Amino acid sequence: MPIDLEKFKPEYKKWVAESLPDYRAGKMTEIVKKYPLIVSDGVPWTPYKGQPSVQTFAMVTSGGLYLKNSQPPFDTVSIHGDPSIREIPKTVRQEEIGIAHAHYDHSLAEQDINIIFPIHRLIELEKERIIGRLTDTHYSFSYVNDVVPLVTQTVPKLISWLKADGVDALLLVPV
Amino acid sequence: MGLIQRMVEEAGIPTISMGNEPDRMARIKPPRVLQVKFARGSMFGEPGNVSRQRRILLDALDALQTMTEPGEIRELPYQWKRPD
Repeated sequence: MPIDLEKFKPEYKKWVAESLPDYRAGKMTEIVKKYPLIVSDGVPWTPYKGQPSVQTFAMVTSGGLYLKNSQPPFDTVSIHGDPSIREIPKTVRQEEIGIAHAHYDHSLAEQDINIIFPIHRLIELEKERIIGRLTDTHYSFSYVNDVVPLVTQTVPKLISWLKADGVDALLLVPV
Repeated sequence: MGLIQRMVEEAGIPTISMGNEPDRMARIKPPRVLQVKFARGSMFGEPGNVSRQRRILLDALDALQTMTEPGEIRELPYQWKRPD
């Protein structure tokens, strides 16, 4: 676990109670400062081996991306955020992407999704054989404060998908 | 996002992420980070700058191959100020 959940849960409950008025008033800077970010000691490390030109890559963004015509948007109202994940196909076109995330200005990403999800650039690198393979599916999260369902359910699911897809390295793009 | 990165790395898949908030990264301690000078919501700079987006992806591939210290944060020099 990247965080001590038993330590996190009571601190988080307290934070929600204290932060709700500021959250509703949109005072994000205030509540972010007080957030109980209880991270485990040390830094996990898996050595990178081999050559990108023969390996498989996938990408994850936390930009709140979803497919407008076939997927529900993320919850952008709850103080807990939304711990779910959306699968974004490699073939996605700009006009198919919706953005559901209330805490950053996504007007520029709506013009060019590649500034938070550089899928079209990765496809070019694959065509040029700079990377061996780009997976058919990539992923988006959105805004999450309650990390318990995220780290106990959603991320383990993501990891199993990445492993099933033979991913050698993952690029993560937060907003 | 730092928590997700830590979990994927711990599960045996090497990761590289982008970041623009050094204070926050120091608290979350992700395994490998490229730090950019771009505002929130545009980790790869301005819309439509294909060569910059490509350059940063190549930097990410280079970082994967050359970073050897867990928690390394490498600063990229590119600048662009988001219009207000």
